[in-house]
Amino acid sequence: MKLDELRKIRERAEAELRLRGGASRIKIVVGMGTSGIAAGARQTLQAILDEVTRRDLRDVVVTQTGEKGLAAQEPIVEVHEPTRITIYGEVDEGVARRIVAEHVVNGRPLSEHVMESREVQGGQPPH
Amino acid sequence: MIEDLAMHLADLVENSLRAGARHISVALRRQGDWLEMEVGDDGCGVLDHDLPRIVDPFYTTKPRATIGLGLPLLAQTAEETGGTCSIERRGGGGMRVVASWGWAHPDRPPLGDIVGTLVPLIATSPEVEFTVELGDDQGTWRLCTGEVRERLGEIPLTHPDVLRFLEGALREGMDVAGMKEGE
Repeated sequence: MKLDELRKIRERAEAELRLRGGASRIKIVVGMGTSGIAAGARQTLQAILDEVTRRDLRDVVVTQTGEKGLAAQEPIVEVHEPTRITIYGEVDEGVARRIVAEHVVNGRPLSEHVMESREVQGGQPPH
Repeated sequence: MIEDLAMHLADLVENSLRAGARHISVALRRQGDWLEMEVGDDGCGVLDHDLPRIVDPFYTTKPRATIGLGLPLLAQTAEETGGTCSIERRGGGGMRVVASWGWAHPDRPPLGDIVGTLVPLIATSPEVEFTVELGDDQGTWRLCTGEVRERLGEIPLTHPDVLRFLEGALREGMDVAGMKEGE
């Protein structure tokens, strides 16, 4: 392991940031509470990170959070865009991959899995 | 159902994250005929009166859960191979869980996908510093996410190049420790 590799990654990533003029475009949040994990959230999170790596999505940030209080619809995935938050329910590995491919990459939410979608006032940057 | 040691490791790290830990240390060591797994944190820990009960499969502190099979099952699989499992509060707060298995024992669960399990947990927990140690009798390999973040500045750990770096680094560590997935 060469930690110096990270400096190069940083230089490249910062150059990309400057080119697109700022922060990450989208943040994906996966609910990793007890009920989420019991419903398969580990596989959901792994699938999302796998797609992010495979598709080389450099303007996407992925984080996890605890209980969302929506146990019946777990695993829960939120897609935060500058002006909209979309909440998906029952996101198994396959749906997770489709969310990345269709919503994050192509900008078309998967309406059949959307639980809630709301405008964000003020256009908060996702990251 | 937990089927391999990677799943036990995920369970322990997720317990630490739920406990609000800001530092989590993970160690896997092959020492002689034994494999040891240790997870320590600085989270909110367990109350004194709860400590004897956390290996009881019908006890849990998790909201809405009725049973907590993680720690009891960990203790059971360790003991079935002649190993042990200890769960203790750390002096400065937080918990430390250490389990050991007989490496060559036929009932030891396989390692599973340790790297594929750890990287997502590490990369998607921006508020938490992880220290990962992988080792054997010959030496120890160590990764501190603090050192990684220091070099990355504002670039998140879920950047594809960083994810590839973390996966490669941890695989290198597993090699150094003489542990192969599926073993």
